[in-house]
Amino acid sequence: MYLPPYVIYAFLISLGSGVLGAMLGMGGGTIMVPLLIFLLKVPIHIASGASIIAVVATSSAAAVSYVREEMTNMRLGMFLELATTIGAVSGAFLISVMSEAALRTIFGLSLLYAAGTMFIQSRKMERSWAQKPNDAIAERLHLGGNYFDSARNESITYGVSNTPVTFIISYVAGIVSGLLGIGGGGIKVPAMNAVAGVPMKVAVATSNFMIGVTAAASALVYMRNGYCDAFLTAPVVLGTLLGAFIGARLIKQVRGVDLKKIFVAVLLVLGLRMILSGVGI
Amino acid sequence: MSSLKRMEALVSTILRAGVLMSGALILFGLTLTIVTGDTSYPNGNMDIDWLIRGDPFFAPSHILFLGFLTLIATPVLRIAASIYVYTKLHDNAFTIITTIVLFVLMVSFTLGIG
Repeated sequence: MYLPPYVIYAFLISLGSGVLGAMLGMGGGTIMVPLLIFLLKVPIHIASGASIIAVVATSSAAAVSYVREEMTNMRLGMFLELATTIGAVSGAFLISVMSEAALRTIFGLSLLYAAGTMFIQSRKMERSWAQKPNDAIAERLHLGGNYFDSARNESITYGVSNTPVTFIISYVAGIVSGLLGIGGGGIKVPAMNAVAGVPMKVAVATSNFMIGVTAAASALVYMRNGYCDAFLTAPVVLGTLLGAFIGARLIKQVRGVDLKKIFVAVLLVLGLRMILSGVGI
Repeated sequence: MSSLKRMEALVSTILRAGVLMSGALILFGLTLTIVTGDTSYPNGNMDIDWLIRGDPFFAPSHILFLGFLTLIATPVLRIAASIYVYTKLHDNAFTIITTIVLFVLMVSFTLGIG
């Protein structure tokens, strides 16, 4: 018989992160990694390693319904994956030469960034989104697409603009994902939506597809580097999957705006704590 | 059914099967660890040879790693399936793009030796 308390705690932490992540449309990794570090005293490399594998799981699980609804723009996702997978591999290699303190500081900053974008989103109920035409690259590669919006009951055709900038941001999102063991949807979704002019629903679904591929690339490097503790990762993956399943069902019963406000506060506290512990205060 | 529709159905099946299979493997491996108390761990680094040989012993951690690998293989399979579709559609640009993405994934597996 072997059941150390940390296995149970890791399961509970990831269950909670999975529920919240699914309700807020982001991977659970953002809250899970700091909680594993602060509550279970797990080194950041190992916490990120467990998280990145859980991210692969939630992405694949969520993608089943997105594929059915034909929301995902596979062409755009595939094209941006060129940048993101290369970024993820660079990030995952970078982690082995970075110190615990440096990684904590970067993670803290990314939490503050996520808090900022979520705060803006919760203030602006109606997201300003200007439909843009395809630019030259998008035209040549046929990156634009269309989807059926069930809320508006009409088929919406959209273009993809600012392709080079979106491509570069995707590379950065890949590095962050590989470095911190998170999905990086917090960077990709605003880039596709605000920079490339892709509708929000398509951006979320496409980002989810990309996250699975990006995280798979990072996860392989993490495993080969020995940052995957099997007995921590197993409860984390199971907890996140179960949490995401519950969260997807709870989402209809809770007001998104209230939840976001609470979450912004949680992200701020965790982000500041990560930075302070990183710089040694 | 058009080839694109068939493709989407296939992708959906791959994703669901991948998540269910890996979830089952991880649950089984973790239960086995808890029940037998066998926390043996051949080496810290992920090693595909070790996984295939089951050598020097077959531990619950083998099943766990097999579960993680199944999980990671799911999006990789999805990429491989789309290469096939783009080839069928004679879409050269996207056949090349998806092949590069698959190549990067393969490289990440062989290069990440710590």
